[in-house]
Amino acid sequence: MKNPTTGPSRELAQAIFLGAASLPDPAERDAYLRSACGAHPQLLARVKDMLAAQAEAEIFFVKGAQALGRIEVGEAVAGVAEPATPELDEELNIGSDRFKLLQKIGEGGCGVVYMAEQEKPIRRRVALKVIKLGMDTKSVMARFEAERQALALMDHPNIAQVFEAGTTGTGRPYFVMELVKGIRITDYCDQNHLDTRERLELFRQVCRAIQHAHQKGVIHRDIKPSNILVTLRDGVAVPKVIDFGIAKAIQGKLTDRTLFTAYEHFIGTPAYMSPEQAVISAVDVDTRSDIYSLGVLLYELLTGRTPFETKEMLKAGLDEWRRTLQEKEPERPSAMVTALPGSEQQMIAGRRRADAPQLISILKGDLDWIVMKALEKDRQRRYETANGLAMDVGRYLQYEPVVARPPGRMYRFQKLVRRNRGVFAAIGAVALALIIGLGISTLLYVKARESERRQIELRKLAEQAQARETALRREADARAKMSEAALLVAQGNRDQAAGLLGDMTGLPSNPSLDAVSAFRSVGEFWARQGQWRTAGKYFRALIEIDKFDDWDVVTLDYQSCGVVLVEGGDLAGYEQFRRVAVAGFANTPNGDAASRILKTCLFQPISADTLRELKPLGDTVEKWMAKQDPKTMNKWVIIPISLWKLRCGDNGAAFDYCRAELDAKDVVPSCLAPMRLIVAMACQQRGETAEAKTQFVLARDEINAEFCPQLQHGDRSAGIWYDWVAARLLLREAAVKLGLPADNGGSTK
Amino acid sequence: MSSSDLTRLLKAAAKGEPSASSELFPLVYDELRRLAADRMQRGLQNQTLQPTALVHEAWLQLTRAGDRKWENRAHFFGAAADAMRQVLIEVARKKSRLKRGGSQTRLNIEDVDIAAAAPEDHVLLIDEALTKLEAESPDDARVVVLKFFGGLTNEEVAEFLGTSRRTVDRQWAAAKVWMFRQIRREAAR
Repeated sequence: MKNPTTGPSRELAQAIFLGAASLPDPAERDAYLRSACGAHPQLLARVKDMLAAQAEAEIFFVKGAQALGRIEVGEAVAGVAEPATPELDEELNIGSDRFKLLQKIGEGGCGVVYMAEQEKPIRRRVALKVIKLGMDTKSVMARFEAERQALALMDHPNIAQVFEAGTTGTGRPYFVMELVKGIRITDYCDQNHLDTRERLELFRQVCRAIQHAHQKGVIHRDIKPSNILVTLRDGVAVPKVIDFGIAKAIQGKLTDRTLFTAYEHFIGTPAYMSPEQAVISAVDVDTRSDIYSLGVLLYELLTGRTPFETKEMLKAGLDEWRRTLQEKEPERPSAMVTALPGSEQQMIAGRRRADAPQLISILKGDLDWIVMKALEKDRQRRYETANGLAMDVGRYLQYEPVVARPPGRMYRFQKLVRRNRGVFAAIGAVALALIIGLGISTLLYVKARESERRQIELRKLAEQAQARETALRREADARAKMSEAALLVAQGNRDQAAGLLGDMTGLPSNPSLDAVSAFRSVGEFWARQGQWRTAGKYFRALIEIDKFDDWDVVTLDYQSCGVVLVEGGDLAGYEQFRRVAVAGFANTPNGDAASRILKTCLFQPISADTLRELKPLGDTVEKWMAKQDPKTMNKWVIIPISLWKLRCGDNGAAFDYCRAELDAKDVVPSCLAPMRLIVAMACQQRGETAEAKTQFVLARDEINAEFCPQLQHGDRSAGIWYDWVAARLLLREAAVKLGLPADNGGSTK
Repeated sequence: MSSSDLTRLLKAAAKGEPSASSELFPLVYDELRRLAADRMQRGLQNQTLQPTALVHEAWLQLTRAGDRKWENRAHFFGAAADAMRQVLIEVARKKSRLKRGGSQTRLNIEDVDIAAAAPEDHVLLIDEALTKLEAESPDDARVVVLKFFGGLTNEEVAEFLGTSRRTVDRQWAAAKVWMFRQIRREAAR
């Protein structure tokens, strides 16, 4: 007891007080007090005073707790001088002459949003977001000011405008935004049971809005369902992206002092953060972080889940969460749904107007790859632009091949290296230690002459290293050019992209997929310009790159490359290309791929040797054709097999494959014309010159009428450019054989 | 989160294992928030205090104070309540000072009219009285810190201090009256 003079009496008084306080009946209480205090009037007075003070003390502490509740920790700690105004709505004190607060419409981790009426400069309803956390208001405002001009440049129907920002009377930052009356996009889709295609349409609009912002230099940094609201305008759903520029203003640089703000942010929306955003040390966020978040959004729209169960991960600790985000591959959307319990599958599929097996089969393949490409850990492998993502979704919706594709073997190996960088580095270190050790023993024990020789070797090594560095720098330069070209292509500036890449002789090793497709686009651009030789260079480079992949696009590149080389008159190049193609695909079990490769190898009459080389491909295609149902099969597959038969000298078979299709109504002209020409050449060989001539003239007219405009515009519905080029190659060949003019009036050459 | 998990982490953090502190934060975050929110609710309808900011500041205090030797959950929450008290009082002082022109570093209790005390002054009065109680009866003072600044329920306080709920009830009731009389006496002086 620290104070012996007051101690015992205090304790005694307290004990009696507590005893008395537990007796609600006044008479009983009095009797108790008298007996307990007995002959100590001072003690009695003291306890009575305590009892009398009890009610007042209670009130005092309740008020104290209230007072505690009114202390605004954040701001005072952040050092903002402010008058203590105990009004309930002090936080809304933002110059009430300009805004009238109507109602609170939302509350998030970092702020409260109100619907408000603005009086000046125009009378309108706005959304007013008051930042809640204790933050350094000055730097928030400075960061917002820095981006204000860029924000003002944004003008897009799917972006909610941010009108202005300011500081409340109590020193908190606030933002005035266009008022969007909508619900979050995921809720909208679920409540209205939108199917997958309808969801994708909405998603594309979101991508285009983000693209618009990126082109104005604004990164959102906080894309998530609650920042994308869907409103109805004339009955049409319109997604609106809100909060542009705000995440940046309130995030700022992560330092120790603001770490806690960052934690708050983590705990708010970690599911949508890109791996690079989760790293505290390097805050190097660019537009591709938004692409990642778009990928998460797409994931959730498709599967109802986010790629990682963030809550679970956070329980294992923040470092563990970061590590997972950096290293763990998310489940593919189809696999995610497959792994769910049956009842949940049914619920998720039902919200998409499908049953579970249907939904899984819709997701499998293209949609899986599109999502996974957007979610790549390495941002170089993500879609380079939001438009790129939107376009790939568009390709899926149009049933065209998408750019995203499953990882090839080479890519998987590189990933392995990347994941195990530590191990690979360790192997390098051991090697280095050995080298150094050797160096030392050499210097110690070997004679001076030998040492000298070693010096020369070392110098040579240094020179090699330097050369390598130069090569690396050149490659980095090429890479930068490629991504710029990819952006130009995405913006529709093919000619500028072509100019940029004009003097490039090859692709950098391991280019991003967007870079490859940009390269492809530029190649096509030159082809459309009739610059066949230049186009040929691009396509031959593409073939080199494609060796690392095994996907549909590869065979499409081969198709383009073949016709471009022949059209450019580079017959030696074509021969070489043909050997590469045969070597790569001779043993493919895939009939579709085999037929495309076969076709691209047959645009010139072939020697007996080449015929032998092509035989395995031809056999694969023939067997595959036998399994096709003539009613439902794709008519394009007839060209390779009939052309193959023609080259083999089997005119009857070539004729039979094509003849039935010539009267069909549903064959596109670019497919029909080559068939007519094959029939014409086959008939000519068989002596049926009249029929040969009829088919030749029909084909010639079609080609000359269609070729020029198709080549210029590349209208996909009427045939892709290389199909027309292929048709014209056959036309020229047939013209020679039949002794008729090909009438090349339509050529752009 | 189980109590033993937290205890393990606390010990690791006290030993200075680097990952423990960052692992700890998400783990205790919810608990800290709950403490802060509870305390706010007891502050009745007016909820302008931000539990998040309070938690962050309290966490800073906890990790800044070099002696991170938390034996167990109870010890940790004791430390958390202390940290919250420190933060709140610091803020209240700052506000009170601002109002008085920034000249005084400490509130003169004589200057304050209890009935009409501004919120921050009210809190400061309680804090001053609590400091006196700490000298007088440290056990009772502990209960006040945990309840008033830490926002714990009587059951929780009992659990953390290893006493009975009834004991805590009695300590809290007595402490309130003692402190109030102390404040009143100071004011009347």
